[in-house]
Amino acid sequence: MRRLFLAALAAGCLSGPAHAGPVTVRDAFGRTVTLPAPPQRIVTIFASNTEMVAALGLADRVVGIEAYTRFPPEVLGKPLVGGRLGFSVDAVVAERPDLVVVTPARQAANQLVDPMERLGIPIVVLLHRSVAEVLDNIRLLGRIGGVAERGEELAARLQSRLDRIKQRVAGLTEPSTIMITGRLGNGLLLIARPGTYTGDAIVRAGGRFALDSGAIAQVSPEAILKADPDVLLFAGSDKDLKELIARPGWKDMRAVKDKRAHAVVRAELLIPGPRTIDGIERLAGILHPQAATR
Amino acid sequence: MREPIHTWLALGLALVLAIVVGACAGHDWATPADLWRAAAGDQALRSRLLVEWRIPRVLAAALVGGLLGLGGVIFQGVFRNPLAEPYLLGSAGGAALGATVALLVPLAMPQSVLLPLLAFAGAWGATVLVIGISRVSGAVDAAGMLLAGVAVAAILGALRSFLMLALSDETVSLQIVLSWVLGGVQTPSWPVLGLLTLISAGCLGLTLLLAGRLDVLGLGETMAVAFGLNVTRFIAVAVLAGSVVVAAAVAFGGLVAFVGLAAPHIARWLVGPLHRPLLPASALVGAIVVTLADAIARAALPPAEIPLGLVTAVAGGPFFIMLLARRLRT
Repeated sequence: MRRLFLAALAAGCLSGPAHAGPVTVRDAFGRTVTLPAPPQRIVTIFASNTEMVAALGLADRVVGIEAYTRFPPEVLGKPLVGGRLGFSVDAVVAERPDLVVVTPARQAANQLVDPMERLGIPIVVLLHRSVAEVLDNIRLLGRIGGVAERGEELAARLQSRLDRIKQRVAGLTEPSTIMITGRLGNGLLLIARPGTYTGDAIVRAGGRFALDSGAIAQVSPEAILKADPDVLLFAGSDKDLKELIARPGWKDMRAVKDKRAHAVVRAELLIPGPRTIDGIERLAGILHPQAATR
Repeated sequence: MREPIHTWLALGLALVLAIVVGACAGHDWATPADLWRAAAGDQALRSRLLVEWRIPRVLAAALVGGLLGLGGVIFQGVFRNPLAEPYLLGSAGGAALGATVALLVPLAMPQSVLLPLLAFAGAWGATVLVIGISRVSGAVDAAGMLLAGVAVAAILGALRSFLMLALSDETVSLQIVLSWVLGGVQTPSWPVLGLLTLISAGCLGLTLLLAGRLDVLGLGETMAVAFGLNVTRFIAVAVLAGSVVVAAAVAFGGLVAFVGLAAPHIARWLVGPLHRPLLPASALVGAIVVTLADAIARAALPPAEIPLGLVTAVAGGPFFIMLLARRLRT
């Protein structure tokens, strides 16, 4: 761990002073974004991007967030530039940002990339299809934020924690797992699936998918009953989990009978940032309780 | 009828006012002086926001409203029904399907090109399909077309719903599609705005060519035939022309409820039922209504934006009912 840490520091130093001159990065849409100088006024759209920027020690430079950002405390109370109904170009521009960080969820990329490009305000689009991509995002934000070495260091620290989890669960039989991430009004359930960072988190914690729904995230409760996983995870509160497994038929599910139905923390597994690693560590403990001491 | 010159002047003035109000409105209100400074080439970020982003959007909203006004007149004229509206023959369903594909399916083209293109293709294609169906089934009259339109709209709506269910997840949200379907003027770049202006002018010219025959058709089919009009053929031609107009409106403005229905009625009260003055008047009314509604949509609920179609329906509905009631009393 310490060696990795030092190596990362060295790499950071070797890459030269990051705060001099313009920085160019390529974002998730393949766009080339150049910042003439480290940003001083950053608008971060979505909790994940805000958290990553804050984790790099740049929370005091955040000048705008969206309404569903709840963490970390030091960014709460910053001006809101969007919420449930979309994002305001006016509100973003009013903050005179020199960097906007956005993820193509809700309508954010749709509503903001084009106007910011026209106004010459650098805007970076990030994706998070895997945990590795989340770490890449941290590195990229470090580079563009003028704190490249801090980004490398943080990513290396998180990576070494991931490596440790990998060692811990190596060689153990993977329990078949379903993680329910949401419920829809029509009775269908949303589940974590391969090709997403949440799905990746399950695999990295030593689980395997009990049900491959393909590209479609919504499945019927019957499909989950039929898949009868070893472990049933619910991203939400214990109370909602109890309510869920109180449904007719669910009591007889193997995971429920074996007391292997667990609530997991939404903020860790449904916000792709540094806390996702906490979530994977916790998840590994749930999937492989016997290996916790390994 | 009132003196037409006054009416035209009043309509033109109202449109200019609406555009100025629209350009001032936003989450960050501007004054007319700010507009002037921005137009004079001020390079401050706020001024550039007005020139690069807000003003093109306001002008696009006006043009979209104008197109809807034209489309409404054509469809009400062809079907001789005051309830006819531009989205009658499947164009709404087709456009929404095209837009859903553009918004949710990753294709190798930038969305700013793909969205108007597919929306246009969907809107026009659906109407052509409706005419084709009624032709094949030998029912090329208004009733046959309406029924075919209802059926096609139902099929397209179901297809769109399925695509929305199947292709959305946490990252590709239904909201994108929903907000487009509920009406949202895309902000064009200045060259694209120029293109939209040309298209709109072309549409006005195209529909004006139909004006005389729409008047004749308004006398009733028997009379129209007596006047030497090939009614079946004319209806098909007029509907195709109307659907081009509507498809253009949909491509740049999404589905904006209610304007296409209301604008022709308001215009008829102002300039009477003859189509030559009615078409431009309805276009002006539509432009004014959509410009103001878009201003409300952008400014009312910061930092969010209300979908335009909701504003036109919620604010326009009662207004239209009031006008209608006053009209019926006199």
